[in-house]
Amino acid sequence: MLRHLVKLMWNRRQANGLLITEIFFAFIVLFIVGSALIYNQQNYRTLLGFDYEQVWQVDLDAGNDQRSDRELEATQRQIVQRLQTLPGVRAVARTSSNTPFSGNTNRSDLKRTKGSGGAYTNGNFYYMEDAMQPVLHLHITQGRWFDKRDDGAARLPVVITRETQEELFPGQSPLGQVLYSGDLETQVVGVAESYRASGDLSDPRAAVFLRVSPQDTTFAHLEKLLVRVQPDAGAELEKQMSTEIMRIGRGWGSNIGPLSEYRVSQLKLVLTPLIALIIVSLFLIINVALGLFGVLWLNISRRRGEIGVRRAMGATAGNISWQVLGEILVLTTFGLLLGLLVAAQFPLLGVLGVQTGVYLTAMLLAAGLLYLLATVCALYPSRLAAGIQPAVALREE
Amino acid sequence: MLLNYLKIAWKVLLRRKFFTFISLFGISFTLMILLVVYALFDHTVGAHTPEKRIDRLLFITHLELWSDHSQSNSTVGYAFLNRYLHVLRTPEKVSIASSGGSAVAYVNNQKLKLDTKATDGEFWQVLDFDFIAGRPYTVREVREAAHVAVINETTARRYFGTTQGVIGRTVEADQERFRVVGIVRDVPAARFYTSADMWKPITVSSINLQDPNYLGPCIAILLAPTAAAVPTVQQEFQQVIDRVPVPSPKDYTEVRVYAESMFANMVRVYFGESGPDNGLGRFVRLLLGLGLLFMLLPALNLINLNASRILERSSEIGVRKAFGATGNVLVGQFLVENIFLTLLGGVLGLALAAGALAALNASALIPYAHFGLNGRVFGVALLIILFFGALSGVYPAYRMSKLHAVQALKGGTK
Repeated sequence: MLRHLVKLMWNRRQANGLLITEIFFAFIVLFIVGSALIYNQQNYRTLLGFDYEQVWQVDLDAGNDQRSDRELEATQRQIVQRLQTLPGVRAVARTSSNTPFSGNTNRSDLKRTKGSGGAYTNGNFYYMEDAMQPVLHLHITQGRWFDKRDDGAARLPVVITRETQEELFPGQSPLGQVLYSGDLETQVVGVAESYRASGDLSDPRAAVFLRVSPQDTTFAHLEKLLVRVQPDAGAELEKQMSTEIMRIGRGWGSNIGPLSEYRVSQLKLVLTPLIALIIVSLFLIINVALGLFGVLWLNISRRRGEIGVRRAMGATAGNISWQVLGEILVLTTFGLLLGLLVAAQFPLLGVLGVQTGVYLTAMLLAAGLLYLLATVCALYPSRLAAGIQPAVALREE
Repeated sequence: MLLNYLKIAWKVLLRRKFFTFISLFGISFTLMILLVVYALFDHTVGAHTPEKRIDRLLFITHLELWSDHSQSNSTVGYAFLNRYLHVLRTPEKVSIASSGGSAVAYVNNQKLKLDTKATDGEFWQVLDFDFIAGRPYTVREVREAAHVAVINETTARRYFGTTQGVIGRTVEADQERFRVVGIVRDVPAARFYTSADMWKPITVSSINLQDPNYLGPCIAILLAPTAAAVPTVQQEFQQVIDRVPVPSPKDYTEVRVYAESMFANMVRVYFGESGPDNGLGRFVRLLLGLGLLFMLLPALNLINLNASRILERSSEIGVRKAFGATGNVLVGQFLVENIFLTLLGGVLGLALAAGALAALNASALIPYAHFGLNGRVFGVALLIILFFGALSGVYPAYRMSKLHAVQALKGGTK
């Protein structure tokens, strides 16, 4: 029965070419949109690796201040010390400008050996002070976070994240190991969970935290502060902080905002195109469904004679409706096979660096949806076909 | 003749309403989405307040110190722009402004974050803002470093609670006091070279105007005397730039900076292009390709449906052919019918697009956005409709015209 149907449809492939093309394109659209959605959803479910609630970001703007980097840093240190004493502030730490949800990134190569060759990865570099742990509540899984013991260390102490460990130290303990980046020599003191400062939908990628020691007197690359505040802190504290910064800095500007706000606006930025994508593809799918339905309906009225003969030869109503349904499912399969040929190129060529699992799930999802769509569209026409009376249909000829 | 075609088309539409609905649904939603996209595009780079004379404006927003192995890219230093732009003879006006900035004001202990822009006096002559009250600050006020400011409508409402009688009152931002001299209508945030909540003289900002560094916090806008003179201005600017000394020749070999239209500029920034090619051609091709791809599925759908409906018309086609109508005449007739159908769908699509844009405005997804349909959007809509109509009509029309008269009259399709 099935072989007969396939043969039937194969012989009519030219007449049904347009329908097959349409299903092919619909599959491609569903596959691409599905991949994008599954990929983002997977990332969304991964832990961020830090707590953003009750953390404020303070951007310091030295403006026209012409003094040396060292003097600027001294002023910044005064500001940090003053902020720490304000009631409502729990902890303050300096950091580089690639703060969570800021969209700023700083990437470099990280190698196991000094020369070329050997394991290496391209990771995000985050410069952080010891006080960052009480601010962001990073999840340390092995070893420890930076502290006073690291003062005077020969190599720059670093904490790597889970991805960095997996890429550089598969199956070994990274603690105490040395990593190189350009001329920089670092030593691993701890391992943290994945850290996704680029936001809820970003993919977890290799990252490394580099220690900023209290002796570090540069200002240029550390002009941001992260501040953990009491849960009840509000505009009052914010105003107080900006007043203090302006008083100590003599004309320095500041921009203070909670990380949760940055998170929402960053999320809005990445969700908007996704939502637009969903709306557009939804419309395309409805469009295809209506078209499919229309074409099937028309086909039934054209094939009244054929169906009449089959009924007269003893086919039951059930046989007829199964045939109509079976035909469209076979056609859908033809379209799907073509589409799969194209879709398979994505994981094979690895164009976008997405795991194969995502593509496979998207293929399954797209195929399932299309079969469902075809079945729903064929239901009414197949009942119509089953209701054809042989006597009436045959007299028309 | 045409009228007859249209009459027939109308009758065909009314004959099977369900299929008419399917066709119209496909056409109108396709056009709606394309129109919304175009309206967003027009909103971002079309001629709107304050860049009403967009065809005469040139923007200089980024400078790159370039060599094979080392690049440094940023907005531009004030001193650099001031020195090399004011020697130009061809532009009618030159304005230099900060690329952005922010300040904080407090109203009854509530924080009010203001996007600020520090500009020169010419800024207000190059651009056309809608002033609700007051006036722009003058070139002289900028020279004398007067603490004056122009604010937008929303800021006036938030800070003073009203837009009436605000002129002459003071705004305190970042603990500096500015006298309000003018209020303008909100500028959409998408116009990021000119949009702000508060504009103030560049001489009272924290920007170091003497800093000799080529890279800095500023951008420049040039106004050409006519749209036709734009290439001349670009040429002169490029000649000046070619003679600019390269700072630290050890590291860099070239200074790359271009004066370009707003659209070209945005595309350049988006693609991260710094060379002579701004990527505009590539971007336009990409857009057209995506648009075509998007239209393909609804068009296929329509082709499919129309091709399946040939049977309905077979007796009509048979009669026409028997009386001597050629294939070409029939193709013409069916194309006209299809374009007529697409036009109907287009009208619906325009209405839907207007609704979608109104919803977007209401959602306040983009601050101060005011999307709308205008003449340009209508023009583009018409073009898209004709294209879509032809795209989806040619093949079915061809199939119809190929029917053999005898078989068509008998009611067959082969």
